[in-house]
Amino acid sequence: MNWSRWCGPLQRLRSCALACALAIAGIPALARPPLASAPDEPIQPVPWTLSPNPARAEIGRLLFHDVRLSGNGRVACASCHDLAKGGADGRVRSIGASGGLTGTNTPTVLNAALNFRQFWNGRADSLEAQVDQVVRHPVEMGSAWEDVVRRVSQDPKYRGAFAAAYLDGVTMANIQNAIASFERTLITPNSRFDRFLRGDARAISEAEKTGYAMFKRYGCIACHQGVNVGGNMFQKFGVMGDYFAQRGQPAQADLGRYLVTGQERDKHVFKVPSLRNVALTAPYFHDGSAKTLEEAVDVMFRFQLGRIAPKEDRDSIVTFLRSLTGEPAAAP
Amino acid sequence: MRTRNRSTWLAIAAATTLLAGVLIFLYARSRAYDEAGYLENVALLLDLKQQGAQWELDVLKSRIGLYKHYDPLARTRMDLGVLLDKLESQTTQQRHDQAAALGAGAAAVRTAVDDRAALIERFKSVNAVLHNSLAFLPVAAADVQQLLEQSRGDAAAQRASARVNHLLLDSLLYTQSTSNERAAEIRSCLDLLEPDQRQLPVQVRTRLELFRSHIGVVLREQPVVDELLGAIAAASPSMRIDQFNEVLEAEQRRAAEQTRRYREYLLVFSTALLGLLLIAAFRLVRSHAVIRRVNQALQGANENLEQRVRERTQELHQAHSELMATARRAGMAEIATNVLHNVGNVLNSVNVSVGLITAGVRDSKVQGLAKAVGLMREHADDLGRYLTGDAKGKLLPGYLEQLSQALLAEQRGVAEELAALARSVDHVKEIIAMQQAHAGSSHLVEPLQVGQLVHDALRMNQEGLMRRRVVVDEQLPPIPELALDRARLLQILVNLIGNAGQALESLTDRERQLRIAVHIEQESILRIEVEDNGVGIAPEHLTRVFAHGFTTKKDGHGFGLHSAVIAAREMGGTLTAHSDGPDTGARFVLELPIKLGEDIQ
Repeated sequence: MNWSRWCGPLQRLRSCALACALAIAGIPALARPPLASAPDEPIQPVPWTLSPNPARAEIGRLLFHDVRLSGNGRVACASCHDLAKGGADGRVRSIGASGGLTGTNTPTVLNAALNFRQFWNGRADSLEAQVDQVVRHPVEMGSAWEDVVRRVSQDPKYRGAFAAAYLDGVTMANIQNAIASFERTLITPNSRFDRFLRGDARAISEAEKTGYAMFKRYGCIACHQGVNVGGNMFQKFGVMGDYFAQRGQPAQADLGRYLVTGQERDKHVFKVPSLRNVALTAPYFHDGSAKTLEEAVDVMFRFQLGRIAPKEDRDSIVTFLRSLTGEPAAAP
Repeated sequence: MRTRNRSTWLAIAAATTLLAGVLIFLYARSRAYDEAGYLENVALLLDLKQQGAQWELDVLKSRIGLYKHYDPLARTRMDLGVLLDKLESQTTQQRHDQAAALGAGAAAVRTAVDDRAALIERFKSVNAVLHNSLAFLPVAAADVQQLLEQSRGDAAAQRASARVNHLLLDSLLYTQSTSNERAAEIRSCLDLLEPDQRQLPVQVRTRLELFRSHIGVVLREQPVVDELLGAIAAASPSMRIDQFNEVLEAEQRRAAEQTRRYREYLLVFSTALLGLLLIAAFRLVRSHAVIRRVNQALQGANENLEQRVRERTQELHQAHSELMATARRAGMAEIATNVLHNVGNVLNSVNVSVGLITAGVRDSKVQGLAKAVGLMREHADDLGRYLTGDAKGKLLPGYLEQLSQALLAEQRGVAEELAALARSVDHVKEIIAMQQAHAGSSHLVEPLQVGQLVHDALRMNQEGLMRRRVVVDEQLPPIPELALDRARLLQILVNLIGNAGQALESLTDRERQLRIAVHIEQESILRIEVEDNGVGIAPEHLTRVFAHGFTTKKDGHGFGLHSAVIAAREMGGTLTAHSDGPDTGARFVLELPIKLGEDIQ
């Protein structure tokens, strides 16, 4: 806290000096937009970095793409969380190590570090716990930690890297932490909308600004707020109507948070998903039932907001949502 | 003595171990409680409490819309989780008497936080829905009113419009102060709206239904939010934190009390140790003083002794040099006495010879010759007749014959005496030469008869020997001439013979005997033994008789034997003394290397 107090003026001074230098040189300012966030906005820009340990994150990057984490060596984290596909796989439900289908649609790994819980029903408190559950899940990776630790230990490259980055070498906790460290690098700052939030009024189009106003006016913002535009609270799916009755084919995963707490009122309660990079991560909802953003927004209007909106307003909101696509964070 | 020492050491070692053990025990007990850990825990608890309060504040800010997003709530929850983890790891790592109670306390705090977190999660969900509906209510009402406007004049529409306005107002008021009466009023109003609603067009009906559903949401969720807010305020983990703190404080009080008590013990113990130390120091200082005093006395004595030794040494040196001077003088006097005495003896025989010669010359028959010559001159004319005729003249030839025989005899006698005189003069020369040899002025090696030299030596001591009536036994076998340093050999012999004479002087009970034996051993060593049966030499003196300055004589100076042994060494030989003890006589043996059969020329 004290650090930032001392650092603030310094940073201001530095950006001032930079601006002066650029002005003198007559070069258009290419510097990143100012760090100042928009204090009154319900959405906050993604930070530039979460400062994970670089050595650990690098191990995590290797592990993230390593099929040895799965029981039969068929899938890696990246199999479902394809970084080229917005950190998900574009399927309604993903295919696990043994070919089985996962219970829910795969949430994106991008900006997962900014979520307050992990999984659709928020059953993991941390990224590490999320890694743990996925690796042991019989459908997803179908592995046992002693096997994973053994397989990773057998690789001298991993052994050396772990020995350099951790006091106690290759352990279950360190593997989880390494992957979590890598996931902390998978944030997407500097979306056009974030640039707008940081004060660049021309970063988004007028249509997108209108969309943002709609987003707020229609009450989407009641749940999709904060730095991750969601991901910081739970909400019942079907506040203003019974979504599941309308959809049919009830599944166990539809029970949501009830599976964690066992409380009646937690039935159909899910973590509000982040809308960051939402344009890249179709299909939508825990059941992957919405193929397009338009469909998804319509469902939201009907079952969450209890509103009837004209198509233009819905499209306007979708236009705004597309401005939330960010860039991969700089390597730590 | 040794066992006593060992048991003393054992006792000291045991005492030291005991004292050290007590000290370590007291120290360990007085430090058993980790105060820094306690303070850390207290700081952590304060932090937890503050975050808990902050959390509640965050909830209220979210409730009244000061916070437009829930990130602060989620962040505070995460911070609380970190603090809880820290508290648990801290309390399990630290040493605690009440570990179980503290563990339970920490678990209770965590449960309280978790319970509150669950309430807050529900609050977030419900509040979002409530907010959404509240925000939409005026819009929905406006939409309905706009549609109702188109069917103006319809009584149902007018009633509905009034009721919608009424409902909107009541709902907003309801959110400001929730009460069952108002809820009932709203519900009755909704019921009253029902019949009119059915008469309205479908489009309006749909909108109105939407409005009603949101009113329903407000009615449903507002009490829940209020209830949740109350529950959140009630579910403050502060109480659990305070309970935990009380356990910690009680433990800390006990530990502080114990620490204080053991510190007191430590103080008492230290005081006792200090006393012991003081006693030891006092004794040490005292013994140190004693040692220093003794040391000083010793040093003084030592210095005194050294001074005295120096003085004595100086005195000795002085005495020695005086003695040396005396000895030199005395030696020279003795030699002079000897020389003069011997010369005197020789002079006697010179005198006799001179007297005889004088008498012979005085009483010479030369005058008879002169008379005869006078008679012959008187009768020079008729010498022949005189000699033949005259009576007297006829006797003259006979007389002349007798006279010439007498003169011949007379001449022979004088010549003999002169020869004796010459020998005596030679002797004097020898005596003087010997004196010169004593002075060490001559070291000539010359062929000599050892027997003759022994005789000379005896003769030079003749006076003393005769006075003491010493019987001299000479064992002088015939030996060839040998090349020797005459003066040195004579000096040695004179000394040995003189000493023997003196050793015999006090003898009264037996004949005084002196034996001198000369013989050649193995054709290369001349051995001369001088033996007497006098006072002898004590065994302790045997090795010292040749030392410079050693003497047993009253007027001796310790020079003679010393110079004799030096002379013997200078000649390449040895001089040794033998005696069986006092009153058994002494034997001095001189051995000199010689070369027989060499041409001594």
